[in-house]
Amino acid sequence: MNPIDFSVLLRGDYPRMIAQGLATMLELTLVAWVLAMFLGTLIALARMTGNRLAQGGAAVWVEYHQNVPMLVQIFLWYFGIAALLPAGMQVWINRNSGEFIFATVAISLAMSAYVSEDIRGGIRSIPKTQLEAARALGLSYFQSFRRVVLPQALRIALPTLVNHTVLLFKGTALAMTIGVAELTYATREIETQTFKTVEIYLFTTIVYLALSLVIMAAGSVAERRWAVPGR
Amino acid sequence: MTPPPSMIRFENVNKWYGDYHALDDIDAHIAKGEVVVVCGPSGSGKSTLIRTVNRLEEIQKGKIYFDGQDVHAPSLDLNKFRSHVGFVFQSFNLFPHLSVAENIMLAPTLVLKQSKTQAKDEAARLLARVGLAPKADAYPGQLSGGQQQRVAIARALAMNPPAMLFDEPTSALDPEMVGEVLQVMKSLARDGMTMMCVTHEMGFAREVADRVWFMDQGRIVETGDPESFFSNPQTDRAQKFLSDLRSH
Amino acid sequence: MGDIIAILREHGPLLLVGQYPNGPLGGLAITFVLSVLGVALALPLGIALALARISPFRWAYWPATAVVYLMRGVPLIMLIFWVYFFLPALLGRPVSGFSTMLVTLVIYQAAYLAEIVRAGIESLPKGQTEAARAVGLSYMQTMRKVVLPQALYNMVPSMLSQFVSTIKETSLGYVISVHELTFAANQINSTLLTKPFEVFAILAGIYFVLCFSLTQLARHLERRVSRRRAGQTVGVTPQALATPIPATAE
Repeated sequence: MNPIDFSVLLRGDYPRMIAQGLATMLELTLVAWVLAMFLGTLIALARMTGNRLAQGGAAVWVEYHQNVPMLVQIFLWYFGIAALLPAGMQVWINRNSGEFIFATVAISLAMSAYVSEDIRGGIRSIPKTQLEAARALGLSYFQSFRRVVLPQALRIALPTLVNHTVLLFKGTALAMTIGVAELTYATREIETQTFKTVEIYLFTTIVYLALSLVIMAAGSVAERRWAVPGR
Repeated sequence: MTPPPSMIRFENVNKWYGDYHALDDIDAHIAKGEVVVVCGPSGSGKSTLIRTVNRLEEIQKGKIYFDGQDVHAPSLDLNKFRSHVGFVFQSFNLFPHLSVAENIMLAPTLVLKQSKTQAKDEAARLLARVGLAPKADAYPGQLSGGQQQRVAIARALAMNPPAMLFDEPTSALDPEMVGEVLQVMKSLARDGMTMMCVTHEMGFAREVADRVWFMDQGRIVETGDPESFFSNPQTDRAQKFLSDLRSH
Repeated sequence: MGDIIAILREHGPLLLVGQYPNGPLGGLAITFVLSVLGVALALPLGIALALARISPFRWAYWPATAVVYLMRGVPLIMLIFWVYFFLPALLGRPVSGFSTMLVTLVIYQAAYLAEIVRAGIESLPKGQTEAARAVGLSYMQTMRKVVLPQALYNMVPSMLSQFVSTIKETSLGYVISVHELTFAANQINSTLLTKPFEVFAILAGIYFVLCFSLTQLARHLERRVSRRRAGQTVGVTPQALATPIPATAE
């Protein structure tokens, strides 16, 4: 077995491929995360209105996205829904990194379901008496929710939100299956070209592990900073 | 001489939970500056009654007036109305993620549109009044039950209400902390605040209450001044209630 | 809609059982076999990892913790590539896609199950262990006869959730040409070419029906276990018990 030689990764085009892969992975993670948080909040709120249509729609959204594999969701978007779009749109999408767009859409929609459940769980764990006390002081429903319930709910939801952020980050690797040139894609390319499987695999594994740990650590820091004193 | 204007008035108030008649033909009023203690066995409807005033509970029949205002008028701005009614809960219900001062300042800044500095000064003044001036920057989780309830009273007072409603304010407290809360309530009464208090604290009733309402099974069964009520209850149910209370 | 029915009628068998009996088993059947075997083999390994994680022995704690963090931090697809590369090298002979996928799933799920079992063990009142040791049971006997049975019962809903996650994870077998459900759907799509939406909608639908039913079962069991648990646990919030770590989204 050949001795391990990491210097191979520094030659030729490989550094650029790795850098490109890293950049795409981070881009994908960030955009999908922001979208997932935004959508997830909307869906959580939709489930709290009295409107049956909104509640039903939100429930269906959540159940679908949690019970269908993310890979299949990516395929459905990239192969399936793409084919249904009007021809002009398809052409535009193909010229503007369609794979990236569809991967982002699929991943963010999938994770929005988990985010909405996290937020919903947080809100439900706040006793009704908190809302009651705020209303008794004369605060409107919206004010009570924003100033009293939501701040407490988000603190409670924070640990699971952090866990789901890590899942989202790991999920970006699936985008390679539709040709998005993120880190795992670059890893396979380099492996095929150099046959230095251990080196490139180790590098990529360490990157994923390190960034996952960074996300979890950031979560712990946030938890401590926003912790309610006295508990 | 015309009687003093009533601050709180119940007219033919009725409430049902399904088939259960929780409030049965309540007709009563509390005058301005009066302190009324509402007592009775559990399930008598006393908490339900006090919660109908600011519509935390709704009624099916009857009318309620607060400071001359029909509480169920369709044109009523409920939030604005509630900001005029001081309410103190049994379980304090302070907001744990806000400091003591922020708890007190929240409603004045949001509802009364006070400036932050104005609200902060008011909060400091009220905290001094309830004996907790140094605790402005503490958090509810760091306070004892008695301290939390005093903060809750200050929080309600910050809205400058014409009357204060107390729903069993000391029932959730350890015995040694009941005194500090009652002391604050007594001082409020002596300052002329109109108060409706659901409580078991008979000592408090004897000291500052103008009248006692005894409730049982959704009705006000007996009323009277504290001294007569405690030494000489008229009805059998009141007698039983008082003897049960004393035997603890 | 008519297209979907036509596709189901013509290619249904491929989706369900692959080319069997005219070839190897495939489709949903393989998905099912992979999932069941995966979880069945992962459970003992997961229990072992959990015990290592709560043990005071450093030689057990650190490796187990490392494995768990590794599986939580690395994407499953990357792990598949590792096993795909290393297993044949280790065994000195070629390994089928199915076996590769199975080994990967077992290791991956063992880590997640370990955390679930660990949460289950830690949520039991200390009195249970104390009482068992007080009557003279050894550590292993206490674990086997008193702690684990209760912990595992309490964690059945969470483990069922992990089973659902495993089913979803089998879809990644597509990447190394394992003849499971997603692979079958892709085959059909390559044949038809003109009906990608219908094909993948069917694929999503099959996973949905399967996973949703199991999730509902898990929720039902969760309610039953919660009722039983209400008399048992001391000082642990229901939230911490229900979701120690989330099921994977893949």
